[in-house]
Amino acid sequence: MSTRAALEPASPWVQITATTEDWDAAEADLLISMFSQLSLIRAFEEFVLTLAGEGLVHGPAHSSIGQEGAAVGSVMSLTSDDSVNGSHRGHHQFLAKALGHVAPKGIDPTADVSDEVRTVLLRSLAEICGLSRGYCRGRGGSMHLQWREAGAIGTNAIVGGGVPLAVGQAWAHRYAGSDAVAVTYFGDGATNIGSTLESFNLAAAWKLPVCFFIENNRYAVATTIDEVTAEPRLSARGLGFNIPSWKVDGMDVLAVHLAMTEAVEHMRSGLGPTMIEADTYRYFHQNGPFPGSAFGYRSKDEEKSWRDRDPITQLSSHLIRRDILTSDQADDFTARSKAIMTDVAGEILEPLPGGKPGQRRIKPAEWPDPDFRDVGVRGDLSEFADARVCDTDSFTGALENRKFVETIAAVLYRRMAEDPSVVILGEDIHRLNGGTNGATRGLSDKFPDRVLGTPISENAFTGLAGGIALDGRYKPIVEFMYADFMWVAADQLFNQVAKARHMFGGDNDVPLVLRSKVAMGTGYGSQHSMDPAGVFATSAGWRIVAPSTPFDYVGLMNAALTCKDPVVVLEHVDLYASTGDAPVDDLDYVLPVGKAALRRSGSAVTVITYLAMVNYCLEAVDAGHVDADVIDLRWLDRASLDWDTIGASIKKTNRVLIAEQGARGTSYGGWLADEIQRRYFDWLDHPVERVTGGEASPSISKVLERAAIAKTEEVAAKLTEILEA
Amino acid sequence: MPTLLRMPAIAAGAETAVLSEWQVQEGIPFNKSDAIATVETDKAMVDMEAEEAGVILRFLVGSGEQVEVGAVIALSGTPGEAVDDIEAALRELGVQAASPSSNGSQPSSEKPNSNDAPTTVPTTHGGRVFATPLVRRLARDADLDLGVVSGTGPNGRIVRRDVEMLLTQTLAPSPDATPDELAEVHPPGTDDKGDRAFKDIPHTRIRAVIAARLTGSKRDTPHFYLRGTCRVDKLLKMRAELNAAAENADGTKVSVNDLIIKAAARAHTIVPAMNVVWTQDAVRRFDAVDIAVAVATNRGLLTPVVRDAARRSLSAVSADVSELAERARLGTLAQREIEGGSFCISNLGMYGTEEFSAIINPPQSAILAVGAALSEPVVQDGELAVATVMRVTLSVDHRPIDGSIAAEWMRTFVGIVENPLQILL
Repeated sequence: MSTRAALEPASPWVQITATTEDWDAAEADLLISMFSQLSLIRAFEEFVLTLAGEGLVHGPAHSSIGQEGAAVGSVMSLTSDDSVNGSHRGHHQFLAKALGHVAPKGIDPTADVSDEVRTVLLRSLAEICGLSRGYCRGRGGSMHLQWREAGAIGTNAIVGGGVPLAVGQAWAHRYAGSDAVAVTYFGDGATNIGSTLESFNLAAAWKLPVCFFIENNRYAVATTIDEVTAEPRLSARGLGFNIPSWKVDGMDVLAVHLAMTEAVEHMRSGLGPTMIEADTYRYFHQNGPFPGSAFGYRSKDEEKSWRDRDPITQLSSHLIRRDILTSDQADDFTARSKAIMTDVAGEILEPLPGGKPGQRRIKPAEWPDPDFRDVGVRGDLSEFADARVCDTDSFTGALENRKFVETIAAVLYRRMAEDPSVVILGEDIHRLNGGTNGATRGLSDKFPDRVLGTPISENAFTGLAGGIALDGRYKPIVEFMYADFMWVAADQLFNQVAKARHMFGGDNDVPLVLRSKVAMGTGYGSQHSMDPAGVFATSAGWRIVAPSTPFDYVGLMNAALTCKDPVVVLEHVDLYASTGDAPVDDLDYVLPVGKAALRRSGSAVTVITYLAMVNYCLEAVDAGHVDADVIDLRWLDRASLDWDTIGASIKKTNRVLIAEQGARGTSYGGWLADEIQRRYFDWLDHPVERVTGGEASPSISKVLERAAIAKTEEVAAKLTEILEA
Repeated sequence: MPTLLRMPAIAAGAETAVLSEWQVQEGIPFNKSDAIATVETDKAMVDMEAEEAGVILRFLVGSGEQVEVGAVIALSGTPGEAVDDIEAALRELGVQAASPSSNGSQPSSEKPNSNDAPTTVPTTHGGRVFATPLVRRLARDADLDLGVVSGTGPNGRIVRRDVEMLLTQTLAPSPDATPDELAEVHPPGTDDKGDRAFKDIPHTRIRAVIAARLTGSKRDTPHFYLRGTCRVDKLLKMRAELNAAAENADGTKVSVNDLIIKAAARAHTIVPAMNVVWTQDAVRRFDAVDIAVAVATNRGLLTPVVRDAARRSLSAVSADVSELAERARLGTLAQREIEGGSFCISNLGMYGTEEFSAIINPPQSAILAVGAALSEPVVQDGELAVATVMRVTLSVDHRPIDGSIAAEWMRTFVGIVENPLQILL
């Protein structure tokens, strides 16, 4: 007969309810601050819905009406040094944080509101309407609200997408030695998505000061919470990750505040993450000015039962009961809040010319200039102004033959030693004497707190690095053990890291470096053998470097770490064991941004290639005595491509071969061929030719794998074909 | 010792020529300066003369075949030389043995190397010329008609090397080239249909070039037209006096056309803005007045150029015109004699044509169409009178020349013709 013993979760899970004693004990200033914020946010949200009804909000207007208590109750214990982010339904959290920033001592409801408060309301409204005076210059709109100065680091339209970023922000706060915390707001819908659950784990494992704040409004659009989980008490999820968790009535702003006060104290004490679930309710449908009942997925009775417990009504009754405010004063501020919105909106709205009475439009001058469309996809590279840029022709230091992979470890060591802001993270990078290939050898011994072995959760740790980069105090270097893991982390790589600068208005630097290993040829098969260059090249925002020599690796890694844009540094395992000229002790030079290397000079054909394929192309050209230019691109992204070198070569040879190793579908050269035929149509004497691998990903079988990857023989055959044409 | 006979470069810029006809027979000796073969280029038909006495041992190209300049056309020997094994002799000289078939079709032989063997796929496909973008740009820059270029790239595509060979006028044959590599496919000669309703006369080179150039001119040159009427009684009287004097002095007679050439040349001197041609980057103005004269020949229209017609005397110009016209009819004009000039005169007056308008011959910028001199009623000082009247139509390229300049020229020209002593100045 087996014995059994009950097990307890390692962390507590409690429900906090505010009693009348709590209400009586609450400081009047706190209650007044909460009332003023609630009234202003409610008036703001009602005004947004009015504009949405008039068709003046382009895209969805995700109303937070009904949920304001959770946001206001939770920001009261935060300062401007603390950070918040949120989801698509984030107006109330953003406003609460921003109002707290401009009025840290609270807003007096009996006095005129300050210009700073009015400015917050105006710029928030302008952003939601997509106007240039918005916080993100109209780029972000309702779902991407960011005001970093106030600690509002950006709301997110991908469910769960912002959660790992907040974890990264929390890491930066803790590593900087401050007691600041990060709060990431998300809804019930986000509690079942991988990035959120991965983030719970990562934050708890690393004891990061982040609060996972769940606004459980019971509906993911029209799908009810009971339909999607067997544990609708969502704060129970924290226990699985050893995160202390609170459950609280989100309609009770004081209860929320009490729970948050405990959570913040826990986090500021260095004890790690917390989770708060606030039961709340959105009075309206997912977006727009109609109640959910109008769409048939819930009843009017249910909506009424929640409206009866409205957070503002509850708070007002206590304020009046305690003689802190009179009923008239409360009503007056509610009315004035609405008037303020009408007044503020006069800045951006005007009567519709020729329209009916009351019809409005956006003032034409408020719209962004269409020329602003692509501004800020990337930074302006001004960070390179003081960089020591040199190339093979201008390098004066000593060179010697060294192994490629040792050069990687050497330059990473040098940068970490010189720059205390550099932090490296990835799977197993701190063990195995420098990770699986030795590229991080020696780093964890010397810099143990900046060499972070991660759980196997690429989306979370990539997002964590994204959060660190967006914060800006530290430069994360993320290692992907295999490039194919890019798909696992795709949301963070392509929706978050790549788009953040542009989406938030163009000014938020994203100094993130991704070391992505290309392992084709090692027998790891279909899911470990891709070349990610082609996919990264589709993503505006990323810069891509592909070093084919140890010398280039040093200069390109230094350039990547100098750059304020996300840069993926491609590494090929074929090159790790290769040797080449490497600097002996000068590991500080930066290769020029956007400069390719001409590895061979000829006149009959231009071979454009990168990474490990460079050497195979050179073999083919040398063995066949082919009269070819061989261009090693080094910089692969659209913004950094060396068109001067490519153009000069094409005008000379009139024939182009783009050579790469990987599978055709995700290959890199397609867009380049497209660009070349358009730019150099009149200079081409032959179709732009390409060498790629096969259609399928390489298989594990050695013979099939070789057949799937392009190397010297494929390049040689194609060169012969071109030259005989 | 047998030697190889190659297609000579007849006209500058011509990449190929047609071997119209062999004038000698295999095995029959010929003397130095004998005509061995007649060769036809774009503009000229010339006899290829023997440099030394000799004998043709083997024709390698048949009559009517188009051959690249420099290509081997025959194996020749010294007079009386007999070679037992002609195939061996050819092989020794690096030529794949082959004999032309009597109908002039492509001799068949193994391609020595697929790498440098030109394809025989036609370059045109339903009217579309297959040429690479680079070739199209080069052709545009060089004002080259790709319709007459043979493509050696995939699918018969014209590639850079095809155009560069034309543009750099590479005349030297490649040492290992063989006749079949260099000969081009020739379209079938004549083609009688079963019902005999028509007969196709294959384009001669001259006909094809006339078609291409004038089509191009009508397409690319914005023409405008001015008509003028000249009273030519004085001119005809002067000509009669000049010719009477010449007859006494045993000199040559001048034609009305000679006088018109001189009148036009003088008008060009007075209105130099007419002595121009359009180029891609500039309007090119000439110093000397070179005037082309349209000459009808039995093979098509030719336009030899009279040089410096303004500064040279009437008699010199007249002699020049006679000589050029004669050689045009004989087909012995050199390429340089049909190039240049900004202006052309086409005279159909001798056929009684009253008036007509002509198509500008590029790159020239104008052409004067001259009708017959006819007796007509005219109004003179309010009275009806009879006069000899010649009508002319000036076709002008509007790109380099505006209407006012052409009108000024026409007034000047008519004035000179009507007061013809100026021609003699």
